[in-house]
Amino acid sequence: MDDEAEYAEWARDNWGTLVRAAVFLGCTLPEAEDLAQTTLVRCYTAWEKVSNADNREAYVYRMLRNCLRDSKRRRWWAERPTERVPDSASPDRTTHVDTADAVHRAMEGLSRINREVVVLRYFVQLTEQQTADVLDVPTGTVKSRLSRALAQLAADDHLADLTEGSTS
Amino acid sequence: MSDLERLWDDLPVGRAPVDDILRAGRKKGRTPRRRPTRPLFTAGVLTAVGGAFLAGIIVAQPPGSEPEASRPGGVSDASPAAFHGELQPVESCDELLDHYVDQALEIVGPHGWELGGYWPAGDVIAGALPAAPSAEMDALTRQSNSYESAKVPSTSTSVNSDTGTNVQEQGVDEPDVVKTDGDLLVRIQDATLTTYDVTGKETVELSQIRLDGFEDGEILLSGDTVVALGNDGSRSRNRGYGWYANTGPTTTRVVSVDLSDPGAPQVGDTVDLDTSLVTARQHGSSIRLVTAAGLPELDFVQPTGRRGMRTAREANERVVRETTLADWIPSMSVDGGEPTQLADCKDMAIPRQDIGLDTMNVVGFEADDPADVHAIGLAGNASLAYESPDHLYLAASPFAAWGECFDICPMVTDRSANSGTTMVFDFEVTGTEATYVGSGEVEGSVADRWAMDEYDGVLRLALGPTQATGNFNSVVTLERRGDELVEIGRVDKLGVGEQIESVRWFDALAIVVTFRQVDPLYAIDLSDQDDPRLMGHLEIPGFSEYLHPLGERRLVGIGQAPSGKGGWGAQAGLFDVTDLTSPRRIAVLSYGPGTEARAGADPRQFTWLPKERTLLTVISDGWRTRSGWVSVVTLDHGRLTNRMVEADYGNDVEQIRTVPLPDGRVVLVTGEDVQFFDL
Repeated sequence: MDDEAEYAEWARDNWGTLVRAAVFLGCTLPEAEDLAQTTLVRCYTAWEKVSNADNREAYVYRMLRNCLRDSKRRRWWAERPTERVPDSASPDRTTHVDTADAVHRAMEGLSRINREVVVLRYFVQLTEQQTADVLDVPTGTVKSRLSRALAQLAADDHLADLTEGSTS
Repeated sequence: MSDLERLWDDLPVGRAPVDDILRAGRKKGRTPRRRPTRPLFTAGVLTAVGGAFLAGIIVAQPPGSEPEASRPGGVSDASPAAFHGELQPVESCDELLDHYVDQALEIVGPHGWELGGYWPAGDVIAGALPAAPSAEMDALTRQSNSYESAKVPSTSTSVNSDTGTNVQEQGVDEPDVVKTDGDLLVRIQDATLTTYDVTGKETVELSQIRLDGFEDGEILLSGDTVVALGNDGSRSRNRGYGWYANTGPTTTRVVSVDLSDPGAPQVGDTVDLDTSLVTARQHGSSIRLVTAAGLPELDFVQPTGRRGMRTAREANERVVRETTLADWIPSMSVDGGEPTQLADCKDMAIPRQDIGLDTMNVVGFEADDPADVHAIGLAGNASLAYESPDHLYLAASPFAAWGECFDICPMVTDRSANSGTTMVFDFEVTGTEATYVGSGEVEGSVADRWAMDEYDGVLRLALGPTQATGNFNSVVTLERRGDELVEIGRVDKLGVGEQIESVRWFDALAIVVTFRQVDPLYAIDLSDQDDPRLMGHLEIPGFSEYLHPLGERRLVGIGQAPSGKGGWGAQAGLFDVTDLTSPRRIAVLSYGPGTEARAGADPRQFTWLPKERTLLTVISDGWRTRSGWVSVVTLDHGRLTNRMVEADYGNDVEQIRTVPLPDGRVVLVTGEDVQFFDL
């Protein structure tokens, strides 16, 4: 099926960004992979809708966010991330747990809504309009949240001592 | 920021598991019936014959025989927990333990319980995952947490219970943080129980006590007795691997408090169960808890540099094999005494179908004697509970999230290995006892207790889509025949591609609201339960998360809608349901962008005052001002007049209640205060 080949390619291209976004939204790496996978499976079932959607990126990230919320997990912003980093899926990944952990500590100072804006707009590099569509808020809100969030991040001193450990 | 950018780049995201995704996607989406599930129609016909035969026998009973003799399924001689059919009795405790161990071995891996990954790395086969949403997952959804007679399809009013709580089913009370008998008002805030005299012009505090080691308290009121339900603060340490780690309370604490002298409450028995509370219901003085234990916290190892995946897996399998029944069946202790097994092995059942591993218990007791329990259980996960005046239904359903999803999620609501069907177990309840009478299986998912209802011996379900159904919602009627719940009627294609947002049942009518971009409201005629029919429908912007009938002609929908400027906000809509073939919205109130109507998540924050023709509903603005208001909405000739009364802020907004008293006055309960509310 042509559709399927096209979909496979699209999934391959977008995998990394989806996983990264999920980690930045609070997942551990294995969780982020699960979430990306769930999202891509869901996209598959509605691929026609997705590929016809005027705004594919917004659609997919909206779904990622919904899937994340579906999981109804209260963990994301309620506890300290350091307590919940599980063992890595395989020994060769242990060093990378630190990376996710470092991300979580760095993002800890942001509220959930500010965090979402930073991840979508700054890191995933959605447009303002796309970010607004994903979050269901006006573009003005995206702007104001983003500037507040970036200011908060800049003032965060966690980052200074994290970066040394994060290179591998 | 550049540091974060480096972290972004450094994340070892690996390659996309495209093959797995495609395989799973094919299974889920393009082939609606990938697994030949039992064809329900045929089964229905077959069992209908059996049922008719049984019914014949029952009719032939001499008049005046034991009332149990007319019980469907002919379980008259059975002990209270006699199991049969889909819920198999256990011969011995050993057999029960073997069942737990066998099931557990399928979900244990190198990291402990492995429930999260859809496609776990390495040697775990996807098919070995549990077939239903797991205990872990339900622990996450567990939070939360009417009609009168006439055989013509119409709505009818629903008012708060005798203790002042807005409940699902008239005559079946539900726990809340505040209760009243009209003279005395009792509230609990976590562990603090306070009583108030509400007979005078002002509310007067009479007493305040603290319950030791008590969290998340809610109460029930029966005469002079308060039953406080909460937990001792223990939380799960289950880490597991991946997605669905359990973080909810793992214990249930029940405390009975005697209020004969409301100025000096006497704390009675404290009963501890090491299982978490799913829900509680009260009929008269009888209280029934439904609990789910979740997976036990075992001393699992983790793979390390020295210990490989395989060794770790084998070690963890050994841990599972060494479990005892005490790991699986909850214990109960009274006033800190020696723990005993909550339910005897003979009162536990093994589900014939794989519904996922868990231990559900149904625990009944009298309000003034929580230590004397009647407990039965099943070794599986069926944690959606609905209780009618004389039946308790437990459903094991594919996970479906209402209200959170937009376009696609309804098609894929569950775990990969799921069959897409819902099992419903039916228990007859009398006093504190619950007796299993039968079960049924339907294709589709039951989202929550509001999707279930019983009238005149017929169970009605509002079902959402799964991979076993088309991409639409249905209303299905089921009748007990023998020990099976047999489908007798259905209406399909309610909201194609949409998901159910709310349901309200009446004797001969169902109102179902679905949503995708607009909010269709469907009226389904149930006056002939064998032949339910769609009467009419209405499409409006936004959706209703909570429906409340005001009488035979009017229905209020509380929900969300676009509020201009691209944002969403709370909305209250008034529907004219006089002509059900053409329901109309006659008035609407918008609360502005960013507001939330809390009744959608917690109907206890809604009160209808029929005499004053006024409804009280809590509205919050979660992000900007963190304020909570009581919206006082008065109906006058089809118009809605609103007055907003700011009541509380921040987390305390959850505690706002408007409690109606029999004399027509209303008590406003907030985080700080208990005061009469000026209507």
